[in-house]
Amino acid sequence: RPQVTVLYFARSAELVGLRSESVCVPQRISSLQLWEEIVKIHPRLAVIRDQVVFAVRQEYVLLGDQLLVLQPGDEVAIIPPISGG
Amino acid sequence: MDEGEEVPKDFIKLKSEKLSVDEVSELVISPCCGALSLFVGTTRNNFEGKKVIRLEYEAYTSMAEMEIKKICRDVRQKWPSVKHIAMYHRLGVVPITEASVIIAVSSPHRAESLEAVTHCINTLKAFVPIWKKEIYEDEYSWKENKECFWTNPEK
Repeated sequence: RPQVTVLYFARSAELVGLRSESVCVPQRISSLQLWEEIVKIHPRLAVIRDQVVFAVRQEYVLLGDQLLVLQPGDEVAIIPPISGG
Repeated sequence: MDEGEEVPKDFIKLKSEKLSVDEVSELVISPCCGALSLFVGTTRNNFEGKKVIRLEYEAYTSMAEMEIKKICRDVRQKWPSVKHIAMYHRLGVVPITEASVIIAVSSPHRAESLEAVTHCINTLKAFVPIWKKEIYEDEYSWKENKECFWTNPEK
């Protein structure tokens, strides 16, 4: 099971009280299952489930059935709805 | 051999210092271009009747720069005559009336740079991982762009 770096931004960082942490996850996992693993560690994130997407290795991934193959050191970011510009 | 024919450049920057329209314009000016189009996003002092004290921006910086690079590639595909593109976004505290984003595009004729600038800001708002927090007198709010590509605008 690889250690990935989970990054938290905006509201998700406030809910978790962290900007980043190392998390051990299954190498092959769906994006929804990955979300559930992270919510087990930080239950307060549950409130934003319907609004967030992931960025895995800096590519957007919706929460769902998409199969992820994770490597040690991969960046997985929690992305709340964006508001640049 | 073309005099004044320059290599097209993309200028992308996320920084906490005050943005300068002059500085960003200078980056894209080109002797072969007759048009320079600009968009400047500035902070408003109100939202739905509430007084906004200031804005704070944060970004997933490395990914935001990648997404902005993709926008520049997209612009060059759609408007091949575009010469230089600059997209600067401020991070951290942005006081009221100051610029949070400046986009500048140069092209030989005006239609392309005007259209490209519009495309840049609209796509930035939909895809670039940057977040804005509006600070009011008694509370604050993380904003959500209606353009955000995965959210349902009808919610």
